[in-house]
Amino acid sequence: MKKPYLRALALFAGLCACLLQLPAENIFFNGYGRTKLGVLISDGSVFLQENTFDTRFSWETGDTTLYANAIIYEENGQPPELNLRELYLQYFGEAFDIRIGKQQVIWGKSDALFITDLVSPKDLSRFLVPDFEELRLAVTGLRINVFAGNHQLDFVWLPLFTPGIQPQADSIWAPKMPFPVTPTFQPALMPELNLSSGEYFLRYGWLGSSVDFSLMGGWFWNDTPAFAVVGKTVTPGLGLTAIEVRKEYYRTGALGYALAATIGPLVLKSEGAYHIGTRYQGDVMTYPEGYTTKNAIQYSVGTDFPILGFNAGVQFVQDIIFDHEAAMVEDETTNMATVLLARSFARETVRLEALAYIGFAAPDALIKPQITWKIRDGMELAAGGWFFLGDSGTFGQYSENNSVFASAKISF
Amino acid sequence: MRHLHMSLAALGLLAFLAITNPVAAQTSGNASPGSGGPSASAIMESVYNRPKPSDTTALLTMTMVDSKNRERVRSLKQLSASFGTADKKIMEFQSPADVRGTSFMNWSYADTSRSDDQWIYLPALKRVKRISSGGKGDSFMGSDFSYDDLGERHPDKDEHRIIGNDKIGGEECWVIESKPRDSSYSYSRTVSWISKTAPIGFRRDYYDKRDQLLKTLVIQQTQVIDGFLMITQTEMHNVQNDHRTKMSFTSLEVNKGIREELFAERTMTKGL
Repeated sequence: MKKPYLRALALFAGLCACLLQLPAENIFFNGYGRTKLGVLISDGSVFLQENTFDTRFSWETGDTTLYANAIIYEENGQPPELNLRELYLQYFGEAFDIRIGKQQVIWGKSDALFITDLVSPKDLSRFLVPDFEELRLAVTGLRINVFAGNHQLDFVWLPLFTPGIQPQADSIWAPKMPFPVTPTFQPALMPELNLSSGEYFLRYGWLGSSVDFSLMGGWFWNDTPAFAVVGKTVTPGLGLTAIEVRKEYYRTGALGYALAATIGPLVLKSEGAYHIGTRYQGDVMTYPEGYTTKNAIQYSVGTDFPILGFNAGVQFVQDIIFDHEAAMVEDETTNMATVLLARSFARETVRLEALAYIGFAAPDALIKPQITWKIRDGMELAAGGWFFLGDSGTFGQYSENNSVFASAKISF
Repeated sequence: MRHLHMSLAALGLLAFLAITNPVAAQTSGNASPGSGGPSASAIMESVYNRPKPSDTTALLTMTMVDSKNRERVRSLKQLSASFGTADKKIMEFQSPADVRGTSFMNWSYADTSRSDDQWIYLPALKRVKRISSGGKGDSFMGSDFSYDDLGERHPDKDEHRIIGNDKIGGEECWVIESKPRDSSYSYSRTVSWISKTAPIGFRRDYYDKRDQLLKTLVIQQTQVIDGFLMITQTEMHNVQNDHRTKMSFTSLEVNKGIREELFAERTMTKGL
């Protein structure tokens, strides 16, 4: 029990010691400490008890920056873990930047959606419950940005694949499996750690008067694996009685756009992505491998606006699978909306906000209300909840997980 | 995040007022005849059209003091410049710690029918986001300034009349009342004390929709920098709840030839 704890502390101390050797006037250090407690409403059980110490160092020397974001994280009484969320070297040229190392790359213009956020995979081990900052994983690679006025070209090369994180099978956030019987799992089929397994992304962006616009594309490994059927047992008279599956990561591509425009008090936003060769789960008797490959499009349209002292945002999201077949698990068209309301009170020391995801098919929803009280600068208390409405669907499947949380955070 | 949208947008407007248009908050308005001297409208126009630097850089410290004398302090770096029909600025928070590195960019246009373009960069989310420039009557950063207080209000938007003469710090002033032509403005009227010897205001009173005195803005310090009269310290006092906000500008530099290319996404993410 003690070894991981000591190893984490030793690594953290080593990192601090290295940075302290650098000239103090060029070092910037900030971060926060936070403790958070989450309780299931259904039975009062504590499902989340986490302590986080998040530190960010940067060493800046005019045209070069060394940046590190190290986190000591302790959850549910387990030994603390040290996570190096980011560590990169960045060079700022006259008209270009180069960033090498472990880094988060965030694309897109929508809130609470990841339609064109193609590069950084997501940590969905607790579904959409963590803060969005914590949902995105860093990737190791090379990023080159070229600038000409308000035009920007962004190239990302990731020599090694970083998968997204899915909930553990015994987690309360494990999604419903798309199989008629409980499967047994074989080890996942991962891309080889070989330079030929690299991922490539390119984005052009323009930020201008009234409108921002970007186009992007990528050739990459899908962060979320498909379940490939590698064995099944059909018992006469009973049908399918056992199934063996393997998670498989696979090559895919996407082309997308994102735009945002100001019209009076409104900010209009839209983004979309055309996905090439996405695998969709289906009836295992129809598809021997358990899935079929289709092209699909996902897009959103929405607006942000002030109303009655609140900042509001609404977005409509639609997924369309081309050449859809009846044996597929997913519907041909999926519609969803997001609604965000936020307002500050008491001279911005109290903030009230609520984010809702609403699925139209089931129907179902996830509502995340939160109130934050800034006791003083850098110190805040927060409380809120995660409420899942409906019995099925993306959000309704977690209807047993309605919960409330409280947290305390100090920033430095 | 949206909490910061409003705050930063307002902060941008504040800095714009106090640095590149230091007198505008006290002197905007439209014509009303005086007695023998220039008209109220002409006085307000002269303040609005006074010489201004083409660009400025500064450090801004904002201190908010409540009725129990408890202080909250915000500090930020800022960069602003005029480019023909557009004024552009970028502001980056230095403190408090939880917003450090957050930056805000605003483009405002000479064409008053056009909305401002505004963006925010939050280091935690690593994304530059276009935000709404609405909510001009809201408080910004929990201070006693509102968006409306901080923007450069064109004299044509108000009707003006001289209602008296007064002295502030030994300086002879016109006292000018300005009533908005548009009822959507946050105030029923404002009263400004404008110097008779320079195109600058020293004080402005803001009246709420019930015509009760709400706030008083006082210019506490000015400085001539490269030939431009710049406000370096102001205080807004909300007399209804006895809350004050003091703003001070340091390291103020003007006309450094800031390039328009700097007002871009890259500067927001990289920092000033």
